[in-house]
Amino acid sequence: MKIHNLTLSFIILLCGILLPRDFDHRDIPIHENGRIKPLDTFVRNQLLLIYGKRSIKPKALPEELNSKGLSAIDWFFDIALNPDEGDKYRVFNISNPEVVASLGLYWDPSHLYNRKEILSGLKNQIDYITTIQGKPGAELTQFDTHMLKVYSNVIQYQTLSYSLSCLLPLIQINHKTIAQSLSVNPGDKLSYYQLMRKANQLSPLMERLLNQDKDEWSESDYELQHIMGILNEIDQDKFARILKIIPPESGNQNEEWQSPWELMESRMIGPNQEKLLITLESFLKSRIDKDTVKSDSVLAEYENLLSHSFNGLSNLTNVKLETWTNQANLFYKSIAFYILAFLLLVISWMTKPKLLRRISFACLLSGLAFHFYGILLRIIIMQRPPVSTLYESILFVSLIGVICASLLEYNRKDGMGIFMGAIVGGVLHFVGLGYANDGDTLGMLVAVLNSNFWLATHVTTITIGYGTSLFAGVLGHVYLLQTIRTPFDKKYLKTVNANVYGATLFALFFTLFGTILGGIWADQSWGRFWGWDPKENGALLIVMWQIMMLHLRITGFVKPMGFALGMILNNIVVILAWFGVNLLGVGLHSYGFATGIAINISLFIAFELITGFGTYYWAKNRQKQLTAY
Amino acid sequence: MRIKDIINFLKQPKIFVFAIIWMMMLVVLGTLAQKDMGLYTAQNRYFSAWITWFWFVPMPGGRLTLVIILINLSFFFFKKSIWKIKKLGIVILHLGGILLLVGGGLTAMFSSEGNMVIEEGAQSNHVEDYHFMELAIINTSAVNFDEFTIFDQPLLKRNQVLAHANLNFEIEILNYLENCEPTKRTSPAGIQYKGMLKNFILNELKPEKEDNWNRPGMIYKISNSGTNADGMYGIFLGQSISQTVSVNDKDYTIILRRKRTYLPFSIELLDFKKILHPGTDIPKSYSSDINLIENGVVRKILIQMNEPLRHKGYTFFQSSFIEGPNSETTVLAVVKNYGRLFPYISSIIMCIGLLFHLSQKLPDLFRKSKEKIAV
Repeated sequence: MKIHNLTLSFIILLCGILLPRDFDHRDIPIHENGRIKPLDTFVRNQLLLIYGKRSIKPKALPEELNSKGLSAIDWFFDIALNPDEGDKYRVFNISNPEVVASLGLYWDPSHLYNRKEILSGLKNQIDYITTIQGKPGAELTQFDTHMLKVYSNVIQYQTLSYSLSCLLPLIQINHKTIAQSLSVNPGDKLSYYQLMRKANQLSPLMERLLNQDKDEWSESDYELQHIMGILNEIDQDKFARILKIIPPESGNQNEEWQSPWELMESRMIGPNQEKLLITLESFLKSRIDKDTVKSDSVLAEYENLLSHSFNGLSNLTNVKLETWTNQANLFYKSIAFYILAFLLLVISWMTKPKLLRRISFACLLSGLAFHFYGILLRIIIMQRPPVSTLYESILFVSLIGVICASLLEYNRKDGMGIFMGAIVGGVLHFVGLGYANDGDTLGMLVAVLNSNFWLATHVTTITIGYGTSLFAGVLGHVYLLQTIRTPFDKKYLKTVNANVYGATLFALFFTLFGTILGGIWADQSWGRFWGWDPKENGALLIVMWQIMMLHLRITGFVKPMGFALGMILNNIVVILAWFGVNLLGVGLHSYGFATGIAINISLFIAFELITGFGTYYWAKNRQKQLTAY
Repeated sequence: MRIKDIINFLKQPKIFVFAIIWMMMLVVLGTLAQKDMGLYTAQNRYFSAWITWFWFVPMPGGRLTLVIILINLSFFFFKKSIWKIKKLGIVILHLGGILLLVGGGLTAMFSSEGNMVIEEGAQSNHVEDYHFMELAIINTSAVNFDEFTIFDQPLLKRNQVLAHANLNFEIEILNYLENCEPTKRTSPAGIQYKGMLKNFILNELKPEKEDNWNRPGMIYKISNSGTNADGMYGIFLGQSISQTVSVNDKDYTIILRRKRTYLPFSIELLDFKKILHPGTDIPKSYSSDINLIENGVVRKILIQMNEPLRHKGYTFFQSSFIEGPNSETTVLAVVKNYGRLFPYISSIIMCIGLLFHLSQKLPDLFRKSKEKIAV
C-alpha cells in the first residue's frame, strides 16, 4: 500500500511538472453517473450524444462566425449564457431519411439541423411519440428508436441551455425605490437567485402592491409587477436539473450532488453551497462581460472553496488531469505513430533499410509511450487497475501486443517486430475507437467487480494472456508468409518457428494463470471455483487449445507449419472468448454487451480461416516445389 | 511384460491429445447449449456426466474425459525420459495439473451448496438445497416438541410408497411433477379428493430453463390410517396453507420443501445494506450485518461482496436479496467444499513449473537473429 501511494504521488508529481496549470472553467467538477468528472468531459459526452462528435466542426456553426470549429465547452457556455439564442448551432445529427421526412425537414446532405427546425417538426409528431414512449424496447421499429432519440436529444439540449439560467443576470432593476430597497444601483441586472436571496427586502413593497388598487399603482409598482413576471418566466426553467455541480453540504461521498435548479427548488442551501453558487454567479457574469481578469480570479476562488469547504472532496488534481487527458488525445497520437512506423518500414524494404528501420522502430516506441501514458492516466483518474471494461481490455491487449512486438524487434532487429507491433497496435486501436464513441469510457463498476485486488490480478493477467496469444497468432501468420517468401532459407525459418513456440509458451503462462486466478476469485466471491459459465469456458478453451497445440507438436502430429496454422486458429478462439461470449447473453460475465459485434466477429473469423489455410497450403506447395527440384 | 504394455499404452501423449480435443468439443457444445437449456441442465448433460448421449450414440461425458486425462497424466510419470534436470519444469507442471484435476474431482463429488434466506431480525440454522426437495411430515401433537419425519428426493417419485414407524399411515405417491401450477377447479371434486385438491388441481408445466425456477408438486394418497384421513391429496413447493391431517389423535403437518441441511450454529440478520453509486442505479456494494450464534455465544460479523464468512468448513457468500415493503431479506449462498484448497496449491505448483521451464527455454527461443535483413 505504501509503495502504491509512493508511485502514485510520484506520477502525479511528474504530471504536475509536465502540466502546471491553473484551474479553469473546463475543470469545474460535476457529478454524473456516480463519479466526479470535469465539466469538460460531461459536455463532450453530451455533444457526442446529440451531434456524434466531441467538438463542433465548421459545418454545424453559423456561417458568419467563419471559424475552424468550436470546442464542446465553448459551445456549452454559449448556449447556457444565451439560452434563447441556441438555434444558431446545427448540431442535431439525424441520418435517418424517414425521420427527416416525418419531421417535415428538407434533406440535408450533412444530416445537420438546428433546434428550431427540430422543435417545429416535433410539434406535429408529439402524439405519436407519446404512444411509442410507453412501448417496450423490443417492439420499437428502427424509425421509432431514431424518433425517440431525436426527441430526447432536443430535450437534453434544452436542459443544457437552461441549466444555469437561475444564475444569469437577466432582471434589470430600473426604478430608484426598488433599487434602493434591494441596495443596488438603478440599471443593475440581477439574477433569479440574487433576487430570491433579497426577497425579504422586497416584501414591504410587495405588500403595498397587493393591498392597493391597480389605478393607484405608481411607476415602481408597475416595475415590481414586471419583475415578478420575469421571475415567473425564469421559474419555468426549473426542469433543467442536469448540471449537478454543487457538492452536498456535508461532503459525504455517498450523497448525490445537486444542480443549481434543484437547490433553488428545495430552498435548502447550506452556507458553503451558497458561497459556491454566488461565486459561480459572478463567474457567469464576468463571462458575459468578457472580463477575463475577473473570471480568472473568480475561478481561483471557486477552486479554493471546493477544495477547502467540503470535507474530503478535494480530488481536483484528478479532475484537472482528466481535462488534460481529454484534450491531449493520446490514443490518436499513438495510432498516428503506429501507422507512421508501418509506412517507414514498408519504405525501408525498398531503400535505406538500416536507417529507416531504426527510425521506424523509434516511431513504434513513441506510439507505445503515448499508448502507455494514456492508460496510466486512466489508472490514476479512476484509481483502479487498467482493465475493468471491454473498452479498456482492448486498449490493454493492444498495449501488450505492441510491447511483445517491441521486445521481439529488440532481439531480432530485422523489422519483423515493427511489422507485427504496428499491425496489432493500429488495428486494435481502431476497434477501441469504435467503442469510445459510445460515450463516457470511464464508467463506474457493479458491486462484484468493485475489487481492485482481483481486477489487478485476474483481469490483468487474463488480458495479458489475450494479448500474448494474439501476438503468437500473428507470429504464426508471419511464419507462413516467410515460408512462402523464402522456403529455402531453413535456418531463418527455424528461428521464426522457435519464436512462435516461445510466444505460445509465454501466452500459455498468462492464459493458464489468468484462468485459475479467475476461478479463485469466483471461489472467493461466489463460492465455487468453476461454474461452467460461458466466459470461464471461453478462457478454458484458449488454455486447452494452447495445451493441445503444444502436445501435438511434441507427438509430432504437427510440423512447424501446422503449428503456425494452429496458433493462427488460436486467434479465433481468443476473439470468441473475448467478445463472443457476450453475444450469448447468458452467464455472469455478460456485462459490456455490444450490438453489431457479431458481424465483425464473423468477418474476423472468415479472414483468419481464409488467410490461415490459404497461406498454409501455399507454403506447403512452395516447399514441395523446392524438394522436387 | 503385460503390465509394461498397459503402462506403455496408457502413457501415450496421443491419448491426451484426443481427450483434450473431445473435451474442447464438449465445452463448446455445453456453452452453446446454455442458451437454450440453462446452466444446470447443460452442466448435467455435458460437464458432470460420465456419458453424454448424442441421439442414441453414447459418448464420453465431461467427467469421464477428465478421468481419462487424469489417468493418462498419472502414467506420464512412468516415462524414464522425463527424469532429467532439463525437464524438471515440465514434471512440476504436470504434477500441478494432476492436483488440479484431483481437486476438481473432490469438489464434484463431495461439495454441497445451497441458500440461506434470512429476513432482517430473523434467525436461521439451516441451508436449503438449490435443486433437491424433501417431504417433511411433522407430528405436532406433543406439547414440548415436534417430531419430524423426512423423505428425501430420491424417494419422491411416482408409485413410491412411503412408510415409517413414526407414522400410523402410509403415503403412496401417485404423481410427482417437476414443475406445476395450482389452478382452480371448474367442476366439483369427487369425494376421494381431500385438502387442497378439493378446490384446486395441479397442472403439470414444462420445466423452466433454470432448474430452480421450477415449482415442483406432488399428488399422493394416504391409506391404511383406518380413519377418514384416507384419500387423495396435493402439495406443491411454497404452498401458503400447509396440509394438516389428524389420524387417531395425532396431528400431522405435511410440507414439500427444499432439502434442508442443519448447521451446528445459527445466523441472525441484523441489517442488509445495498449502496448505489450516488445518482445512478449501479450497485456499489451489498452487505449483511449478521450475528453468528453458537452455543449461546454471539459474534457480530459483516458479510459483503468478495468478503465471505468462513466458519466450520462452511462459507457464506452475499449472493442476492429480496426487497420487501418493511424489511429486506438477504440470500446467502452457503458452500461446503473439501477440495477448495486444491486450485490454490496446484496453481502455485504449476506456476513454479512453467516459470522454471520458461526460464530455461525462452532465452533460446528469442535469441538474437543471426540473419541480416529478411522481411
